[in-house]
Amino acid sequence: MLTPALRIRGLRKTFPKVLAVAGVDLEVARGEVFGLLGPNGAGKTTTLEIIEGLTTADSGEIEILGLTWAKQGQEIRSRIGVQLQSTSLFNKITPREALDLYGSYYPKRRSTAELLDLVQLQEKADSYHITLSGGQQQRLALALALVNDPELVFLDEPTTGLDPQARRSLWDVVRRMKGEGRTIVLTTHYMDEAEALCDRLAIMDHGKVIATGTPASLIADLAIPSVVELTFDGAAPDPAAFAAALGQAVERRTDLWEIPTPDPKALLPRLLESAEAAAVPFQQVHIRRATLEDVFLHRTGRSLRE
Amino acid sequence: MLWRQFAMEWRLYARDRVAMFWTMAFPVLLLLGFGTIFRNESGPRLSVVRVQAQASSPKDVALDQALTDLHLKVQSLSKAEAEARWSKGETAAQLEPDGDGYRLRLNSYLMAQAGATAGLVNQAWLMAQARLSGAPEPQRIPVQVESPGHKRSTNYASFLLPGLLGLNLVSMGLFSVGMVNVSYREKGKFRRLAVTPLPKWVFLLGQVLHRLTVTVAQAVILLLVGFLAFGIQNQGSFLDLLLIMTLGTGCFMAFGFALSGFAETSEGYAAISNLVFFPLMMLSGVYFTLDAAPVWLQHAVAVMPLAPFLRALRAVFNDGGSLAGHGLGLTIVAAWGLAAFLLAVKRFRWA
Repeated sequence: MLTPALRIRGLRKTFPKVLAVAGVDLEVARGEVFGLLGPNGAGKTTTLEIIEGLTTADSGEIEILGLTWAKQGQEIRSRIGVQLQSTSLFNKITPREALDLYGSYYPKRRSTAELLDLVQLQEKADSYHITLSGGQQQRLALALALVNDPELVFLDEPTTGLDPQARRSLWDVVRRMKGEGRTIVLTTHYMDEAEALCDRLAIMDHGKVIATGTPASLIADLAIPSVVELTFDGAAPDPAAFAAALGQAVERRTDLWEIPTPDPKALLPRLLESAEAAAVPFQQVHIRRATLEDVFLHRTGRSLRE
Repeated sequence: MLWRQFAMEWRLYARDRVAMFWTMAFPVLLLLGFGTIFRNESGPRLSVVRVQAQASSPKDVALDQALTDLHLKVQSLSKAEAEARWSKGETAAQLEPDGDGYRLRLNSYLMAQAGATAGLVNQAWLMAQARLSGAPEPQRIPVQVESPGHKRSTNYASFLLPGLLGLNLVSMGLFSVGMVNVSYREKGKFRRLAVTPLPKWVFLLGQVLHRLTVTVAQAVILLLVGFLAFGIQNQGSFLDLLLIMTLGTGCFMAFGFALSGFAETSEGYAAISNLVFFPLMMLSGVYFTLDAAPVWLQHAVAVMPLAPFLRALRAVFNDGGSLAGHGLGLTIVAAWGLAAFLLAVKRFRWA
């Protein structure tokens, strides 16, 4: 039987004055897209860098493709692909040269033409790196992570700082990578990205994994499949009195109210009635499915974006 | 693998045309500039401003003749013109009538020229007095100009050229090696390499070999320009020259690697490297000698690496000497290089 792509037990790392990783256990199966979701500073990048061999852990065990850093470091390096949070290349290297150069570091490699094709950089193959757009540079970084035809790929915040269109095109590349049978571990603080790409997720906060599962099961565990949102013109008023009248929790965000509910159909008539009676000056009512954002909020009491 | 790394370093370096041009051209420009200014082999000609008397006496005529005989450049000006020139600070020495005799005013800012001029003026006065009285002229001790290695043909440009070769090595080590490493670390280029199976020594050696060949190219260009423009030739063996240059390159590159371990950012490195660079340049005899400095400072300078390096380089290049007499100096350079290398290995970080 194949060993898991990645197995981590009891990983801890303390930086001077900061506990970055506070005991993380993870297991990632082969062929899976696995996401580490959490706000900035949750310990995602540190966890990833320890796995990639860039940082040493204070304690804990890591097995990568059944190998360990202590014994098989070079073999791990030649079988994994890594995209760092920011990939710095020479200003005046072209994508074709960069792929050729990095490819030459590995015993096994994919052809440069194939990689350029995969990340759709054929037209920019001979332009200097400095002239590429942010999205193109990120796609090149992805291609560089694939030069050795890796079984396991690590992507650290692959779409941070990209515009929506560039993000979508990067997601397509990740899906193609999964289609090729690779295992992918990525970090993100975008819940939509985690939902769109990941087969399974670990939600991290303050250096710990606070929940693990498929996006659907994490949301289902909330037992509040829907959220009714009331939007206001400007800041939302205090909902305490209204919540009492409605007999239901109403959470206030800066410019809207959120009312989690298992049954929006039953809630809606009551809600409109009470709002009419209390003369609540809302502008719109919107019913949406619960998201990973709600999962994070429910578990930590904080929003992912804060 | 090493070859590929080396070739890529060169290819990317060649694309940065501006940086490459200035690395190659700057020492050449310095050589051409200073070499031309001080082209005259006997050094710049000394001059004295002569304030004209109301009416020239025979004494004045005899003195003027003697000054000219001693190759002093005499500028005769009226009192008002001379005072105006003096106020602008351009005059080093001014000879003016004072009662029956003369008075010599020296510019305290230009004492090097003024002092030499004063000696000549006094000599001329002795000559003039002897000529007027019909006595035999005072005898002069014959003067011979030659370099420390007994070569006569060396001019300032050939003193400067080895200094510039040394300057190249130091700036290559401190800036092209040290600075570049700090910026690679800062920007994460090292981290990206660290997750590949490329052995780190291959990357570093590729870098070192590239800088080494750049240094060789610089040296060749400088030697060529020195030869074509000033007829400067290497008086010693090229093997000795190569030996010294290799030792120096190794020493100062190790300096760069060592210093790069002490800075977190490029800005921090700029401060640290200047702290090392300027004392090294100013105090090690690239541009001038330190005879007038306090003894403790001279001792301190003697054990710094650049001074013994330049002395050995000049002994070979300018005077055709052998390395035999420079064992101690070259040992000092090698010791610094080794110390810097060990420190570099201890402090070097990839992230």
